[in-house]
Amino acid sequence: MISLKVWQFPKRANLCLSRQYTTKSKRVVLSQDQDKIKNYEPKTTDAHTNRVYVWGFQETGALGLQTNVKKAKERYTEMVHHPTRLQFSNNNEITDVTAGYGFTAYAVKRSDGQTLFGSGLNTDSQLGYQVKGNKKDPANLDVIIYPTAIQLPRLQGETDEDMQVKSMSAGRAHLVVLTQNGTVFTMGNNSYGQCGRSIIEEERYSGSALINRIAQADICGADDELVAVECGQDHTMLLTKLGRVYTCGWGADGQTGQGNYYSAGQITLIGGDIEKERIVRIACASDCVLALNEKGDVFGWGNSEYGQLDDSADAVTQICTPRALQLTKGLGKVKDVAAGGSFCMALNDQGLVYTWGFGILGFGPFVEQTSKPQHLLPPLFGRNDFSNATTVVSIGCGVFHMGAVNSDGDLFMWGKNRFGHLGLGHKKDQFFPFKAAINGKALKVAYGVDHTIALCRPHI
Amino acid sequence: MEISLALLKPHVVRNTYALQQLKTQIETNFNILAAKDLRITKELSECFYAEHKDKFFYYRLTSLMQSGFCYAFILQSESCIQKWRNLMGPTKVFRAVYTEPECLRSLYGLSDTRNACHGSDSTVSALREIAIVFPEFDISRVASQSK
Repeated sequence: MISLKVWQFPKRANLCLSRQYTTKSKRVVLSQDQDKIKNYEPKTTDAHTNRVYVWGFQETGALGLQTNVKKAKERYTEMVHHPTRLQFSNNNEITDVTAGYGFTAYAVKRSDGQTLFGSGLNTDSQLGYQVKGNKKDPANLDVIIYPTAIQLPRLQGETDEDMQVKSMSAGRAHLVVLTQNGTVFTMGNNSYGQCGRSIIEEERYSGSALINRIAQADICGADDELVAVECGQDHTMLLTKLGRVYTCGWGADGQTGQGNYYSAGQITLIGGDIEKERIVRIACASDCVLALNEKGDVFGWGNSEYGQLDDSADAVTQICTPRALQLTKGLGKVKDVAAGGSFCMALNDQGLVYTWGFGILGFGPFVEQTSKPQHLLPPLFGRNDFSNATTVVSIGCGVFHMGAVNSDGDLFMWGKNRFGHLGLGHKKDQFFPFKAAINGKALKVAYGVDHTIALCRPHI
Repeated sequence: MEISLALLKPHVVRNTYALQQLKTQIETNFNILAAKDLRITKELSECFYAEHKDKFFYYRLTSLMQSGFCYAFILQSESCIQKWRNLMGPTKVFRAVYTEPECLRSLYGLSDTRNACHGSDSTVSALREIAIVFPEFDISRVASQSK
């Protein structure tokens, strides 16, 4: 009878105060009970193949490292000087990254169907309509410190698979996403028409829930297909499978390549020297655009104030019609191009990285200006006697810094160290390519204005 | 004491952190006589930048100024015009980031056009620009006070 009472007590406690009861009691498991214990396998910290490293200016929230505003104030650092692993990438399968001015967007694969996340500045609703957790207080969030889902408006019947991101790119204050089913979503600032819709005078972008949806067939017709999007600071370019380029946005430097210097809210096919070419890549970080055709010839348009596109005696500073570049003749077959604020880069099929324009071009302790592309020596990108097959496979640049990834997956960067976005551990500028301390192989690097994001896979 | 007009350009106004930093700089260095956010219309920008009408960057500059809200200040201090221009740094951001890395334009400018802020270049243009941006502001009152 007594023993029964003793049994009953812990049972009841288990029901109503179970947590307190179990944490307070210490019991030894009898060997006869051991097979009754369920074998619990904790989830591994990272089941995903990709991981993301972030560094640079943190105050805008673009790095998405903070989870708590109070904690962030305690451990206050406005810059992240070293590449730091993004916790969000531990919990999510990230497939693509892009960096704008003070914000970042992540393409993810998730079981709940969300495909796009973002963090950072949201003053122009470039990360969609975000409200505070408290539903009674629907104040718009101007700064998002941790990656938050961006709801892409779906048509009836569109699946999660349709909404997976095929390509995306961020400008100064707008974000353009191309999904697997060929739909283009644009959000954020449209004061120059960069979102591909008519410019509305005095439109308020803050707290706007407007995400513009454009069907692929409305842009390039039914016989072609969009494959990539690339944004300058205030304009947007779309590339198709047949190698055509469509643009919209700010054209004051000719960066839309539409043959005029106006702002255009209408997405338009551009011609000039690329009219009959099959373009395979477009690159732009600011207002100067480089394009590459399948044969490896380079074309350019937009801002050329630092002699990036033309070095002839009668060179103009703004080019509004795509032009075959003369100054890249002699580089051989070009495989990749990148265009920053005042400089350009090209990678040829020998794996040589060429730079020209104005700024820290990577040739030593000078800020220089040249219109003649010169190549950086392969040992700067990890080639040595023990790995003499190592070669650069991709290049990219932000407005103020340049970078290259080699065949070992190492990222090298150089240029202006704006708010620590070279990830060197200090604030000094870097005058020649220097390897970033990332614990992984870089797959894709997103170069922002004052931060850098690298999508990597583990070494092993 | 001298007065000058300071304008924060739309792209900076959209960056909450940069705006706050610029405001702090202005507040610590100058006596602010008036401040407001304003939308620069086509007419206003054409009037404001009339001197640049024939330059290649004229359309670029005016369309940038029309792209969103600006923040305008009337500043007052000893040798105010030069002081504000020194704080801002050179016009061309791509050059300024190397020659004067600590100036406001190096820190918050994005390109030679998106160069964060504007400042009057002389007493005459300060008075002209203030009259355009702050038509309601009575300059003669300030002038008589300082005498």
